[in-house]
Amino acid sequence: MKRVVSPCNTTGPYFPREFSDGNEDLTRRDGATARGEHIILAGRVLELEAKPTWNMVLEIWQADANGVYRHPLDPRSAEVDPGFWNWGRARTNQDGWYRFRTVLPGGNLRIPHINCAVLGIGLTRRLVTTIFFAGNMGAAPDPVLDCVVDPELRRRLIARRDPSLDADGAAGYGFDVILRGEGETPFFVD
Amino acid sequence: MKSYEYSPYDDRTQTLRQIDKYNASFRRVPASPLIPRPITLSESTGPVELPRRWNAGKLDLSRVAENGPRAVGQLIRVSGRVTDEDGSPAAGVVMEIWQANAAGKYVHAMDDHAAPLDPNFIGQGRLVTDEDGRYEAFTIKPGAYPVLYSGWWWRPPHIHFSILGLSWMNRFITQIFFPGEPLNETDLLLNGVPSGSLGNDVRERLIFEHGDTVMGDLSYINFRRDFVLRGHRRTPELA
Repeated sequence: MKRVVSPCNTTGPYFPREFSDGNEDLTRRDGATARGEHIILAGRVLELEAKPTWNMVLEIWQADANGVYRHPLDPRSAEVDPGFWNWGRARTNQDGWYRFRTVLPGGNLRIPHINCAVLGIGLTRRLVTTIFFAGNMGAAPDPVLDCVVDPELRRRLIARRDPSLDADGAAGYGFDVILRGEGETPFFVD
Repeated sequence: MKSYEYSPYDDRTQTLRQIDKYNASFRRVPASPLIPRPITLSESTGPVELPRRWNAGKLDLSRVAENGPRAVGQLIRVSGRVTDEDGSPAAGVVMEIWQANAAGKYVHAMDDHAAPLDPNFIGQGRLVTDEDGRYEAFTIKPGAYPVLYSGWWWRPPHIHFSILGLSWMNRFITQIFFPGEPLNETDLLLNGVPSGSLGNDVRERLIFEHGDTVMGDLSYINFRRDFVLRGHRRTPELA
């Protein structure tokens, strides 16, 4: 008999910082360094009236630079980059900023993208979105991006090159997450 | 590796997204409708190596060091089983647990409640479910605490659970309450459920079951809560 899925609830304000800290850098694993183009993915998480949120938790999941996931469902998983984690977690600071160091993902039958979830106070359920990269949109259709019809909303799912975010040889890309209000980020059914 | 199907969460089985008087939910939950999308490889995969990454295993929150002194408070053991919708075990997945101490204080820079910390209590840790999807952790029963900005809202004792399943779709976070607590009646997050009998069912699944009491070298009270993660095995195609 099918069981009823358990009810989610909010992380609240006290999600331990120790659970986030040390997981913002996906490019160093077991003493190896990730292949591909290192990038800084950073931005602010804003609530209504563009107010910054503090201590929101962001989680990301992405393919390595060659488009491979370290997961048994990916037929190419044996080829995954030993220097790359695929998964990361960060939290916003007092000004609403988050920051990951990662690589530009490879394609794997989709336009290169990063899955992103937002958790925190005010959210009884996580919010999920998908981040694409300007200059790396490819020609292929993308079954998830294609669900977003309005060109303005599609634009909001694309991280933009921002040299002011460059750090330690990694190219900066800016992506603000606007939870509610003007310029609201498109989120997907979860 | 089995192939799974994931359906969107059924709102009738879930806490409400926006809860009256829980102001942050009206500032942070998007106003626009969520956009339906298909599940591709990037959503059906997920961080399977976290147990190794974090060296997670067994967890005892009731003390800081093995054989060290126990934290102040009522010693309890929380346990249960994590499964998918078919009842198959979610084996070898990371569970993160955090909670207030017996005085209702978190070890967290943002907690302004003027209650004492306990040097023998950190109140956070990770464990990995066993091959049958079971988890267990000794801890102490958390205290209630005031939500200071609200002017009235006292949180009843509760423990936070975060589960990182084997796919992006299997990420699960909740908080579980204790049966019979008077503050349960007024808590916004426990009572922010759909109206009617379905909502009562959601509420019930946010509360521990009171288990056996144990007396011996170590005396404690059991509290149980099973978790069902989204996902069921794909129906096999007929040959």
